[in-house]
Amino acid sequence: MSQGSQKGGAGPAIEVSHLCRTYKVAQKKAGLLASLRGLWKGETRTVEAVRDVSFRIDPGEMVAFLGPNGAGKTTTLKMLAGLVYPTSGTARVLGYLPWEREDSFRRQFSLVMGQKNQLWWDLPAADSFELHREIYSLERARFDSTLGELVELFGVDKLTRQPVRELSLGERMKMELIASLLHEPKVLLLDEPTIGLDVVAQGTIQRCLREYNLRKRATIILTSHYMRDVEALCSRVLMIVHGALQYDGQLSGLLDRFGRSKLVRLHFEETVPHGLERFGECKVNGPVAELKLEKSQIAQVLSSVVDLPGLVDLSVQDPPLEDVVAMAFGSGAGKP
Amino acid sequence: MTGGGKDIGGRRGLGSYFRLLGAFGRFSLNRELAFRGNFLMKVLLEVVWLGILLLFFHTIFRNTSRIEGWNEYQYLFFLGCYYALEGLIETLFLENCVEFGELVRTGNLDFFLLKPIDEQFLVSFRHIDWSTAPKVVIGGALMGVGLWELGEPVTAGRIAGFVVALLSGMALAYSFLLILASTAIWMVRNQSLMELWWLFSSLMRYPRDIYEEPWAVMIQKVFTFLLPALLVVSVPAEAMVRVLDSAILAWTVFAGLMMLGVSRWVFRRAIRSYRSASS
Repeated sequence: MSQGSQKGGAGPAIEVSHLCRTYKVAQKKAGLLASLRGLWKGETRTVEAVRDVSFRIDPGEMVAFLGPNGAGKTTTLKMLAGLVYPTSGTARVLGYLPWEREDSFRRQFSLVMGQKNQLWWDLPAADSFELHREIYSLERARFDSTLGELVELFGVDKLTRQPVRELSLGERMKMELIASLLHEPKVLLLDEPTIGLDVVAQGTIQRCLREYNLRKRATIILTSHYMRDVEALCSRVLMIVHGALQYDGQLSGLLDRFGRSKLVRLHFEETVPHGLERFGECKVNGPVAELKLEKSQIAQVLSSVVDLPGLVDLSVQDPPLEDVVAMAFGSGAGKP
Repeated sequence: MTGGGKDIGGRRGLGSYFRLLGAFGRFSLNRELAFRGNFLMKVLLEVVWLGILLLFFHTIFRNTSRIEGWNEYQYLFFLGCYYALEGLIETLFLENCVEFGELVRTGNLDFFLLKPIDEQFLVSFRHIDWSTAPKVVIGGALMGVGLWELGEPVTAGRIAGFVVALLSGMALAYSFLLILASTAIWMVRNQSLMELWWLFSSLMRYPRDIYEEPWAVMIQKVFTFLLPALLVVSVPAEAMVRVLDSAILAWTVFAGLMMLGVSRWVFRRAIRSYRSASS
């Protein structure tokens, strides 16, 4: 057995190799007659949710998992959590085969899904935490101190005795995260943990996750459609489009590879002069003009605009990460 | 090879499962007490329903002294046994098994599979439905009255036979429910199958002797040997107030254990096919 696959060993926290998952999906044609026909002979279509995905993640890394809806992110996370069996290929998390679901493996990781709720709805979160202590057989003293730390970290001191159904979405998500951290998991899989939350709650959750990662050297994989989460938390990005891995590298590398354009902001004294459209796509807002340019054009355009009358300030920026990611998603769309 | 940490990888003792069951009971009670009105309503309905049933059987026994060999107080004991057993089934796992399909459909089953504990245990006992627990007390009282009125001495052998048969009966009912619930993973919507539970519990409701008419013998054979629903209440009640028949007792115990094994196998197969609804 290689060192990398040893349970609790010094190898990678997560190692995925040639992971595939296909689903058979029932096909239903519209209409009653077709439905009746389907009773005898159901038509199915094979969907390749995940195609030949390989990567490895070291202990303590925080990695963002990006991709459009239906790209296979959640399916991959569910395979890593041991909920879904792969069609082929393999994965090891902390040295375990996840889908064997050994108790010792399940004690060491957590999966949090922003769209689902695991706390008892009619009871205060504190009761769910207590149940969690029983299920994970956590020592009382250790549990109390961890819970105290987490409640303080998330700033939810007064809310743990309130029935979960009476909490706001943001408060509930914080409680969900506390529940998933109580047994101090070494691997944390987060599927859109900030979905639907306001900017303040998003910020709190980002701060707490960063703090947890630093304190416990936990490995974290995060999927999110909010680039703010990604920028705040992860330096490394895995991008999956149509089930296949399109990119694995630094977040900055993603900008270099897919961000072909730059934004040039020109600030004028009074009004923006006419004729800037000749350089490229131009947006005007009061005395400010934004030019979207190909990287190769930058030098040439800058030399022509510096002499424009009334120009007081000029800056060159990367386009917003959202735009880059959208472009990257699009680039994989042509492939089957 | 097991994990490195001291509390990691150790097998959970039976004691901790009982503790966990206690915790489920405590928290379910907390929840139930938050909805007191609902609880009282259910108890009231149960009492009214029992009253009607008692009145009905009393009317029958005014016109005859025995039904297929059961006299009025033996029958009262049978009724109490049925009530207590159904109460136990409903309190411990009926709701959990019925809601299993919903867990599959919504994908919330995920959370149960992630916990470091036997999935079948967690799924089967996660909610204790206290609102049906009074049925166990009512059933116990009926059995007590029946025994008192019969006035026969209760031997240790009969008590042992009764307890063993009752536990086996519960195992049979639980296994049947678990198998029905497991099919939700393949069918997603399995309401029609849960109707089969209604059939099963209807078969439990009357003594198995009523199927001795020539045309009904087939029913008796099928539901004694193939799908042993008729044993669940009849055998423990017979052991206590009628004949303590060791052959049928042994078959009930054997069938209970076998069905537990089969249902566990089916459940595990089902979990393997779980696809987890998309978020």
